[in-house]
Amino acid sequence: MAVAAPSIGKRGGFQLSAKGQERAAGFTFILPALIIVVVFIFLPLFSAFLISFTNWNGLQPPFEAQGVGLRNYERIFGLDGTTVVRDEFFVAIKNTFYYTLGVVPTQTALALVLAFIVNQQFLRFRGFFRVAFYFPSITSSIVIATIFLWLFNRNGVINGVIGGVANFLGLQYSPVTWINDANGIIHNFLRLFGVTIRTAPAWMTETTILGQTIWQWISGPSVTMLAIMLLAIWTTTGTMMLIFLAALQDIPRQLYEAASVDGATRWQQFRLITVPMLRPTTFFVLTIGLIGCFQVFDQIYVISQGNPAGTTKTIAWIVFRNLRDSQAGLGAALAFVLFVIIAVFTVIQRRLVGKTVQQ
Amino acid sequence: MKKSLRFLALAIALALIAVAVAPSAQAAQTVNLVLMGWSSSPSENERLQKIVDDWNAANPDIQVTLNQVPDYDTTLQKSLAGGEPPDVFYVDSFRFLDLVRAEALMPIGEKLTDIDDFYPALRNAFTANGQFYCPPKDFSTLALQINTEMFEAAGLSAPTTWEEMRAAAEKLTKDGVFGVVVPADFARWIAFLYGAGGSVTDDAFTKMTINSPEAEAAMEFYTGLYLDGFAKTPADLGVGWSGEAFGKGLVAMAFEGNWIEPYLKDQFPDLKHKAVELPAGPGGKATMAFTVCYAVPMKAKNPDAAIKFVNYLTGAEGMKAWTDLGLAMPTRASLREGWLELFPNLEPYLNGAEYARKWQFVPGFQAVLDKVNEQLSLVMAGNQTARGALAEIERVGNEVLASR
Repeated sequence: MAVAAPSIGKRGGFQLSAKGQERAAGFTFILPALIIVVVFIFLPLFSAFLISFTNWNGLQPPFEAQGVGLRNYERIFGLDGTTVVRDEFFVAIKNTFYYTLGVVPTQTALALVLAFIVNQQFLRFRGFFRVAFYFPSITSSIVIATIFLWLFNRNGVINGVIGGVANFLGLQYSPVTWINDANGIIHNFLRLFGVTIRTAPAWMTETTILGQTIWQWISGPSVTMLAIMLLAIWTTTGTMMLIFLAALQDIPRQLYEAASVDGATRWQQFRLITVPMLRPTTFFVLTIGLIGCFQVFDQIYVISQGNPAGTTKTIAWIVFRNLRDSQAGLGAALAFVLFVIIAVFTVIQRRLVGKTVQQ
Repeated sequence: MKKSLRFLALAIALALIAVAVAPSAQAAQTVNLVLMGWSSSPSENERLQKIVDDWNAANPDIQVTLNQVPDYDTTLQKSLAGGEPPDVFYVDSFRFLDLVRAEALMPIGEKLTDIDDFYPALRNAFTANGQFYCPPKDFSTLALQINTEMFEAAGLSAPTTWEEMRAAAEKLTKDGVFGVVVPADFARWIAFLYGAGGSVTDDAFTKMTINSPEAEAAMEFYTGLYLDGFAKTPADLGVGWSGEAFGKGLVAMAFEGNWIEPYLKDQFPDLKHKAVELPAGPGGKATMAFTVCYAVPMKAKNPDAAIKFVNYLTGAEGMKAWTDLGLAMPTRASLREGWLELFPNLEPYLNGAEYARKWQFVPGFQAVLDKVNEQLSLVMAGNQTARGALAEIERVGNEVLASR
């Protein structure tokens, strides 16, 4: 049918050249996907961008909202002299930053180690371990968060185990209220050396930068946030492990064989073959880990709702809270700031890790 | 071949037209309404469904479908923003002003029967710009639950003042039991703030009035119970909320709404307890009222039918059918006696209607509520003074009020 049709149709209709026909066919094939992407991704993204310049409250149809120019963005960065939105935003930045700093390196390293282990030929029940490590990742995060809520309960399993071990060692352990402890872990650490808010130097407790004193900036994640970080690490490591595992199996055996012929030790093989060969994968794992961390939401929603004392407020959480509390315009602006932050960090990371990434 | 195809097409087209026309012909007689609400418990859902069924049986021209949705706020937000709101829906007093400002609600109050029968405080919770928008369907207040077994063993009677309450908490804190459970939650502390004679803002919401000696006394009393060791937070006790701590006998007292009663009856049937009004502070008695109304949207397609239905739900008959379940209290003063005959032990909660304050602030105030909760937990952790906390709340609050 399509082969070499005469250039003038019977009814004198418009006829495409062969190249044009190919092009039309190509577009026809991608049309369904294109429509889906445009309708469900680009249009919402674009309308969210427009909404970020309005005072939309989320309760009336969006086109009834009034434009406010850059006001939402000015409030976020405190450029209009107000501090409430700015302070909350920078608290969220601090919390998200500590969260990411704790979760991304830990889960990446852990995932690599686990992948390396379950990739060993001599390991028995490999299939079981692979499934077991991957299992948390396919379970609903809401379900896992609810279970963690129980585990980290003051009378829960975690405190029970720590208390039991401490008891066995003859130590005193007063149960930690994991899900409601606003103390920063760096503050707790400093307290061991007698440094508290009362003994810290004045330049720390009296210099305020963007709504928080230096002492508050260096608090570290709160104990509650730490519990959420542990949860996140436990859940995501499985996915990352799977990615590493696939990459490990892609490394040609000949490389190792050639290396051992040349007299390379196991450690040298790991350092000079495995790690460089995994570089693109590491970049990928770090990137999706980073994006996931900056967007952390469901665990916060279930476990702490930003409490205690605002120490688990993350950027994604305050986006949601503003959308819910009739400040959708401000929420949309925050979401775009988050987008820019993620984009910037991904580029930085690409510069650092991805330098030699091929493709 | 061609002919039969054409005939088939014609037949299909006719069938489609018939299908399309049929319901609209029927709709000329019957109005279909959707009532949207959240679902709090199976027994509550069942009762509401029965009330709706009764209505449908008695009113063939107005047929109502009950739609109880999870994640209510988001669902309502979506349907309002989409311009297709349900015909009747729940509005919490806390969200009310947001919706009024968005011009989402139709003021239907004046069109209802005997509105003077609603408790003034509750009618007031749904009045804005001088208009009564939507009738309160039911309400809850805070009261003090006391563990009668512990009180009798210690030879104490129910506290009626702050001093008595503190003394009781001190005496009852022993053998691993604490006097009272105090969540770091503005929605509880605020009853003490009002009890001390304090206030959050001025009446017109133009500036904060929370940085006052009264508020300081309220905060010192509340957090003092905790700092002196007579009280714990729910999280300290390893429970989800105050009711659970009280039910498990971890504390002798708890201040909660009347929703605690069915919970205790269900989960801790052997617990001996009773409710008393919140102890009076230096400024007198105070409690909080949490209430929800049946609202009709501004863009209602069938406002008359919707108003008629709401009038039934919140009329003496409909409300009695609803509140006789004992979960929430009737908002009509005329139903008081009949309801108390069924639930005499809930009288302290119902008495609160006389002096309760509404749980309602201006749009955008959530940031201030967060700040209060944060400062309360800081004071309770010993990292902040009551005076410092109030100054901080005042600063944030004034900025929020100014930027409205």
